[in-house]
Order: sequence, then structure tokens, then C-alpha cells
Amino acid sequence: MKHWRDGCPDNAHPLYREKRCTLKATPFEPRILAFLCNWCSYAGADLAGVSRLQYPHNIRVIRVMCSGSVSPHHLLRAFRKGADGVLVAGCHIGDCHYLKGNYMTLKRVRFMEEMLRFAGFDPARLRLEWISAAEGIRFAEVVREFTATVKGLGPMPSFDAVPRAFAMG
Amino acid sequence: MKTTIERLIREGLVDAFWAYRSFRDCHFPWLFTQEDLHHLEPWRQTDVRFPIVKLLLASARENPEKTYGILVRGCEERGIEELFKWNQLKRERVVILGQACSKSLAAKCECRKPFPDRLQYGEAVAPVMESKKLRELEQMTMESLHEWWLAHLNRCIRCFGCRDVCPVCFCIECSLEHTDLIPGTILPPDASFHLLRAIHMGGRCIDCGLCEEICPAHIPLRSLHKKVNGLVRETFGYTPGDGNKSPFTLLGDVSELPSLSRRT
Ligand code: FES
Repeated sequence: MKHWRDGCPDNAHPLYREKRCTLKATPFEPRILAFLCNWCSYAGADLAGVSRLQYPHNIRVIRVMCSGSVSPHHLLRAFRKGADGVLVAGCHIGDCHYLKGNYMTLKRVRFMEEMLRFAGFDPARLRLEWISAAEGIRFAEVVREFTATVKGLGPMPSFDAVPRAFAMG
Repeated sequence: MKTTIERLIREGLVDAFWAYRSFRDCHFPWLFTQEDLHHLEPWRQTDVRFPIVKLLLASARENPEKTYGILVRGCEERGIEELFKWNQLKRERVVILGQACSKSLAAKCECRKPFPDRLQYGEAVAPVMESKKLRELEQMTMESLHEWWLAHLNRCIRCFGCRDVCPVCFCIECSLEHTDLIPGTILPPDASFHLLRAIHMGGRCIDCGLCEEICPAHIPLRSLHKKVNGLVRETFGYTPGDGNKSPFTLLGDVSELPSLSRRT
């Protein structure tokens, strides 16, 4: 299987991956995966597009029916597969089309962030936003802001377990 | 212990009782029934622990119409309570007798409640509220934490021992075995394996520490789960295994939600 990020082999050694990154002359361009809920945020992103608002192209969008259907599995898999940041966006609290779906998202993402922090990943790489269908401007703004943050953080550290000697050295 | 269990079984209040029996001085869990009442021994305090709740869950699943009794420690009682809340065991089908843990065990576990509520045997010892190990970890920088964890997780052989021994891992189908979600072909599995398990334990982990005890690679899983428990306590004000409703079994109310802005 090919890595969707610059064709790195899937489980390349972390050193190897780093080398490739540093050897590249081009500045670091983060890859950001966004989970947008069908009823609000996706429509918001649509509005941003229709209104011809400019926002960075670093974002890849996955449309989900409700932000509550994004499980920690998906978030971690995205990071593992080389996403440098993950954005989860849903309807405002109280506006979820499945009534309380985004309650779950909120609890889950908060929890995930703390766990990421504890495992040594920067929790700022995971972002939760409420974006309604009318907030195209806000969507563009969030993407702009988030891309800048992730750019500042640099590439996502590896998830691959490393031998102790290597980790200590 | 001998007389109480014997009475419970004789009077038909329980069909069988999970307690311990010695084999050549080794303590071992045993399901006592009408037939082997003569093997019952008087209670004695030991520091060896077994996944006795898991055994109870297995036998209760096999014979849902039977009533079981069980001798539990503090953590095991919390586990059973959690299983009640998640509808895995029926309250009226379990009879609980409690035993206290020794001071040394409580210190080793850094246990917040080393005795059950229904305490029949032994003396309750003082709880240990703070985990030294966890405090150490929390003071590390992000980079060294990352390295520390990856170096430990590197030893994982994906034996699923931590899951299999866990009293509150009751799912029939486990997402950790799903090769599309967790990389299934590399060994050691990457960090997402244990991170996901930790996240799944949120609101369920009763801090018994069996996962760390059983791990053949000595991965410090308990610190990971202590952190999870601390988070659950902070954000939801909930301690798994207490008498309150679990915020994880229902969607809840707006007032119970954590705030949208991240703590820094
Ligand atoms: S439908 Fe938008 S968050 Fe649930």
C-alpha cells in the first residue's frame, strides 16, 4: 500500500522518513484531514466554495453524516497514515440533526486530545469546531488558522514503536 | 468465609460461588458448588490477584438463569458494578462478599480504594490517592514522553493479554482485532493499538492493574490507564464503579458537557 503522503513506504523507518523530509527543498506543507458533518459543516464548506472564499489547499475533506460518527479509530488512523492535523467539524450544540450526536463528538475529542498529549503528541493537531451551514466565512477562517498552527508544529511525529536504544540516543 | 459460603449454597441463595482454594499453598480461584463444599477453607489475606470477575462474567454468560456468588476485592467490586451498569450482569443474579486488601498491596497498586463497600473479611486500609509514577510522567516534556512511550510500546507482542484479562472488556467483537482500523501486519503494533485501548477504557477502567501485571513485555499500562481515569474524573466528575450513573452509557445533558475550548 502506498502512503498518501509523498509516496513514503508505509512503515519506513522513522529516520528514513525524517531524512526524506529534510532533504526536500520545498517548505513543509501540512496535510490536514477534515471530517465534516453532512448537515452543517459540509454545507458551510460548500458555501465557502460557492462564495469563492480563499483558503489553503492543505485540507482534504471527508463527509460524514454526523460528527458523532467519527470514532477515535478514525482520528488515530488519520494521524498514523500521515495526516499532520485533523479537523472535526459539526453542527452547533443543539443543532445536530441526530439531536445529541455532537455531544458524543465533544466528549470524545476532548478525551482524545488529552490522551494525545499524554502520549507525547501535540493536542493542537486535533481540532474541533462547530460550523453551521451559513458560516462559510468562518469555515475558511478556521482552515486558514488551523493550517497555520499545524505548519508551525511541523510534521506529525511517528507512531511506529522504536527500539529503546534508538529512542534514547 | 467457609461458613458463610456454605450457608449461601446450602440455602440455595446462590447456585455456585467463585472464591479461592489452595493447591500446595498456592491460592487459586475456584467455583464452589454443592458437590465440593468440603474443599472450602477459612479466609486468609493474600496479595495474589486473579481475573475472578472475568471468570464470573464467563460463567454468568453460559448460565444466565443461575445465581452466582463471588468473593471480591475493592477493584473487583467496582468492576462488577461497572458490568451492572453496562448491562452485562444482572444485579439480582450476583451475590457479593468483600475482602480487604493488605497495606502492601494497596501501596503497590497506588489504589484509591483498596476495600469493597460490602466488606466482610479483613480490615480496610488507607487509600493511596496519588500515583508517583503518573506524576513523574506528567512532568516530562512532550518529546521525551513521546520517546518514552514509543520505547515501551516497542516491546508489545500483540498477545491481547491486557484485553483478555481486563474485567471490564466485555465486548464480543473487539475493534483491536480489526485489521483495517489497527495495523494488523506489523509487529510490534504502533502506538495506536494501546492508545485506542486506553481510550476505550475511558469511564470503564476500574484501575485493578491486571493488564500491567499480565503483560509479558512489562509495558507500563497502568500509568496509561491511571491517566485515563484521572481525565474521566476531571472532565466528567465520574469514578468508574461508584454508585452514580455512568456518563458514558447515555448521551447526557448539555450541562454535563466539557467546555469547547481546550485546556492548555
Ligand atoms: S448532524 Fe451535524 S453534528 Fe450531528
